[in-house]
Amino acid sequence: MSTSFSRARRRNMGIAATAVAFVVFILPFLFTFLMAVKTKKEAALFLFSWPSEWHFWANLTEVIKARNYMLLLAYFNSTVITVAAVAGLVVFGAMVGYVLQRRPSGWNRVIYAGVLMGLMVPPAVVPTIWVLQGLGLFKTIHGMVLIQVAYGLAFSVLLYRSFIGTIPRDLDEAAIIDGAKPLAIFFKVILPLLKPVTVTLIVVQSIAIFNDFTNPLYYLPGKDNVTVQLTLFNFQSQFQSQFNLLFMNILLVTIPPLLVFIFFNRQIVAGMTAGAVKG
Amino acid sequence: MTASSSSVVLKNLAKSFGAVDIIKGIDLVIEPGEFCVFVGPSGCGKSTLLRLISGLEEATSGTIEIAGRVVTDAEPSERGIAMVFQSYALYPHLTVRQNIGFGLSLAKRPKAEIEAKVQAAASVLQLGPLLDRKPKALSGGQRQRVAIGRAMVRDPAVFLLDEPLSNLDAALRAQMRIELTDLHKKLGATMIYVTHDQVEAMTMADKIVVLNAGRIEQVGSPMELYNHPVSPFVAGFIGSPKMNLITGPAAAALGCTTYGIRPEHLDLSTTEGQWQGRIRHVERLGAESVLYLQTEAMGELVIRLPGQDCPAPGSIAFVTPRAGRSFRF
Repeated sequence: MSTSFSRARRRNMGIAATAVAFVVFILPFLFTFLMAVKTKKEAALFLFSWPSEWHFWANLTEVIKARNYMLLLAYFNSTVITVAAVAGLVVFGAMVGYVLQRRPSGWNRVIYAGVLMGLMVPPAVVPTIWVLQGLGLFKTIHGMVLIQVAYGLAFSVLLYRSFIGTIPRDLDEAAIIDGAKPLAIFFKVILPLLKPVTVTLIVVQSIAIFNDFTNPLYYLPGKDNVTVQLTLFNFQSQFQSQFNLLFMNILLVTIPPLLVFIFFNRQIVAGMTAGAVKG
Repeated sequence: MTASSSSVVLKNLAKSFGAVDIIKGIDLVIEPGEFCVFVGPSGCGKSTLLRLISGLEEATSGTIEIAGRVVTDAEPSERGIAMVFQSYALYPHLTVRQNIGFGLSLAKRPKAEIEAKVQAAASVLQLGPLLDRKPKALSGGQRQRVAIGRAMVRDPAVFLLDEPLSNLDAALRAQMRIELTDLHKKLGATMIYVTHDQVEAMTMADKIVVLNAGRIEQVGSPMELYNHPVSPFVAGFIGSPKMNLITGPAAAALGCTTYGIRPEHLDLSTTEGQWQGRIRHVERLGAESVLYLQTEAMGELVIRLPGQDCPAPGSIAFVTPRAGRSFRF
């Protein structure tokens, strides 16, 4: 009796959860997709309806060709920024976290305070632009990479530092006895063991950086420097908006982060709980 | 695989952490090929002493010579030593083969040479079928052997072993004691072994160094330490069950500050003897029995008897120390 009740209850809860997930995650995606295949006129009505005519290919090619293939350039720029920035975040975050965790020094406190400040203090746009201009990095891709590394470093240092605390110091010492120099210890022993955190960081940060809208808008103006999120402006203006193309653009921009997420999904959960229990 | 054995000489070696002196001036000579055991209670500095020899800790003063060369300021990898850690410290992301060959591959040795050395070590330690496994797929004893294999391929002049058996269960520990002793004979290398377990020290060592609070209490062969301890500390530390050590007026009456007699050197009788007491507790181990006798003259005495026949708890008994077997400190 009680088991059948709890089974029914469990089934109902499952259905409810699926329904909520559907509304929150699938419906917007479906709406985007349907809008993306409509004609300009039909899309302007903004209805959640089945398209009367399918214009998938027509819209797709138009979006890609718009403004002299700007979307492809944007993909290239965004990919370069994302890959370079995430690589920097992983290597520097792990290095700083390693040194902070392993080497006892009076400076550690100061550096750690600096790291926490990086998390708490909101970045100021105008002074950052002055600094970039002073260094000749304003409106450059590598300047943008440095900005993204700077904004994300505090988080990755914290994540790595606490995880490195769970790696026994004996491993470092065994490597020292085996004749490893500090860089070899870090790259051959410590960094491979950080894989769970690294995967988490790659997913979280690459999605954030790829989808970043405001930072490229401030620090990377100029039509050669366009990133994917900024291409959304192509089809939206004060007097005329082409919503079918806008939504097709959104669809195209959403796909890469989605792939990253699906691909690494399992490891993220492992990374979030890594170090919680001794494995 | 033959490792060239070498001597280790410590001269007035000291180590302080801040204001705390951990090692307080140690002079010691370890002969080539010797199996030397550092033994002592927790916190006596035995692990620190080993880490000083390995180079993982820097000496505050004094010198360390390995194979006739002063290595006090040398890098650990340049001292000709290899170390086996208590936790084994195997690299979890590498296979057994890569773990054993790690040092050689860091030194950029040719692949064939690495493979040959790994195979040689694996055959000595019977690790052949496990070479492609990761450490987490190994049992405790197997991990232990991998850790020893990693030390062997370095062809070290001196092996340093830091409580290598303390993570194993009792049965495996007894087996590994014999395996390690065999390995020492086979390799002929100098080995320095740290333990807090006096049984390991007694069964494996050529030379035991008893440490207490950062100083050497006594150095000698196991039987020297058993038969001629120089201090109550050594007398109490070597031997199991521990020696009866009596202080206070009872010892003063016998003309010393501490009177010591081993449990196996007390003869029990139900009719007559030097000290009378009541049996408080009996531990029967089968081959031998351990009695706790509450006496008026000497306080509690522990007595070890062969066999299983002994008086019941609560009965009155007499004990007599065997002539020439007592110690006066």
